[in-house]
Amino acid sequence: MEWLFLIVSIVAVVAAGMMLTRQNAVHSALFLIVNFACVAFLYLMLDAPFLAMVQVTVYTGAIMVLFLFVIMLLGAETTSDTSSNMRWLSFAGTAVAIILLLIFAFPIASNMFGDDAAAQPEAPAQIRVINAIPGGETEEFTVMEMGFAMPLAGNISGNVLLDALDEGAQDLRFDAVTYGATDMSQPYTSLAAGEYAAIAGVSDGVYASGPVYSQPLALAPGSAHTVFFFENAEGLLEVAQREDNLSAPSVGKMRFTLFNAVPDKQVTLVDIGQYSARGTLCDDSACNSLIPHRTLIDELPVGEQASLELDEGVYNLAIADQEQNVLRTLGSYDAERGVIETRILTREPGIPGSLPRYRAAVSDAVAVPAFGSPESLGQVLFIEYVLPVMLVGVLLLVALIGVIVLARPDALAQAERRRVNRRRRVNRPLVSVISQQTGSDVMQGEYLAKLTGGPDDSSAE
Amino acid sequence: MNAIGTEPYIILSMVLFLMGALGVLMRRNAILLFMSVELMLNSANLALVAFAREWGQVNGHVFVFFVMTVAAAEVAIGLALIVNIFRERRSINIDDLRQMQG
Repeated sequence: MEWLFLIVSIVAVVAAGMMLTRQNAVHSALFLIVNFACVAFLYLMLDAPFLAMVQVTVYTGAIMVLFLFVIMLLGAETTSDTSSNMRWLSFAGTAVAIILLLIFAFPIASNMFGDDAAAQPEAPAQIRVINAIPGGETEEFTVMEMGFAMPLAGNISGNVLLDALDEGAQDLRFDAVTYGATDMSQPYTSLAAGEYAAIAGVSDGVYASGPVYSQPLALAPGSAHTVFFFENAEGLLEVAQREDNLSAPSVGKMRFTLFNAVPDKQVTLVDIGQYSARGTLCDDSACNSLIPHRTLIDELPVGEQASLELDEGVYNLAIADQEQNVLRTLGSYDAERGVIETRILTREPGIPGSLPRYRAAVSDAVAVPAFGSPESLGQVLFIEYVLPVMLVGVLLLVALIGVIVLARPDALAQAERRRVNRRRRVNRPLVSVISQQTGSDVMQGEYLAKLTGGPDDSSAE
Repeated sequence: MNAIGTEPYIILSMVLFLMGALGVLMRRNAILLFMSVELMLNSANLALVAFAREWGQVNGHVFVFFVMTVAAAEVAIGLALIVNIFRERRSINIDDLRQMQG
């Protein structure tokens, strides 16, 4: 990587130097193109692929072609460059440039070769808490708080963690999601990346009754985690922490994640999609005999989640047992491209052993585009910077009109007329005035006679 | 993934910027003057992109985008001016342009 940067930067600097020193303007323009291509390559190395492409198309393509076009149009390839009394300026300029370079480069170089590498700030991690406990008979779990304490030191025991919280270590508390609402979407909260202790307890403010959950949690930069609270087969609270994949799904697809919070069942998710196309939804018994199911997620255990990418379209999802018998239909599901969605399966509240039901739909944020990609740049440009984009558009329009005005044909005609007028006005009186004052012919006699209208009128006096 | 820090990019962008500035000072050909200005704009863009990566913010890229747009507009207008000047006086040596006592 270093040698690549070194080669490219040396080529860039040499090309810039050649551009400055060539007498032929066409050669200069070609060397500038080389320099721009090198800069585009450096953009690629700096994780800016979109800007690299714009650099190639706009700069090395459009702008430099415009330059070459104008040079060729004017025939100004080898315009004489420097008048001799300006030569001192180049020496002074060089000296000033070198001094400036030394002044600017010194702190950077001293920092670069110092032993402490500058720590790059890390992208924050994201975390959210989802309460997948069915309401009803498990009242004591319905209201909770989740705390994250950092830093984590030593072994984990409930008391140590509580002490750490009491001492005012960074403590971020999440209100629990209360279960039962149809819209279960829960936003992510940003945390600085690092090692955390995740503590959950009944919400009495200070975790006085002790944590029901305490686990170390390592949050990598840019990662996203979800903490699920659910009920296990014994009716006790269980907590699972899963990492989410928020990268963009494949083109034209969506990512569907299913979390199984049914206390006592493995679930198999099947697609019985053909029926939704006809508009009739089979009931649980009729489905078995009629259609081949397409298994999407096979035998998902309790407390686990599985992800898959679905093509765009309408699905008719159902829960099946191991023999592919449909236990319960879940209704039609509209898969939109680019969406990342997590769904949670729980049993119905208050009915132990009841069949699983789609209870929660957790819509995730839009996929996080990669840094420097066209998506990320487009999102920032057209959300945060709409007004500047419009202003730049107006600027380009004004420039367009300005160029049209400057280059309109009658501008040339006017300039030509002005030049002709000036020449005529200067030439004729000047000749006659000189000849009058000196008393001699400045020009050939016949020509002067033709100009002044009489032979030797002035010289006769 | 990237072994190169931000500092080498900044130093390179500084070198290119000063070369561009030198070009503006030394060359008298108006077209070369414009090319040197483009070189300076480009080196500033390089620094912006390097800092954008350093801070993990796309805003630097957005600014580079705007600079490119403005540079395109500037080049179009500037070259139109140069063409007009050349029509008027058959020269694009900027030392000849001293009507304003410059």
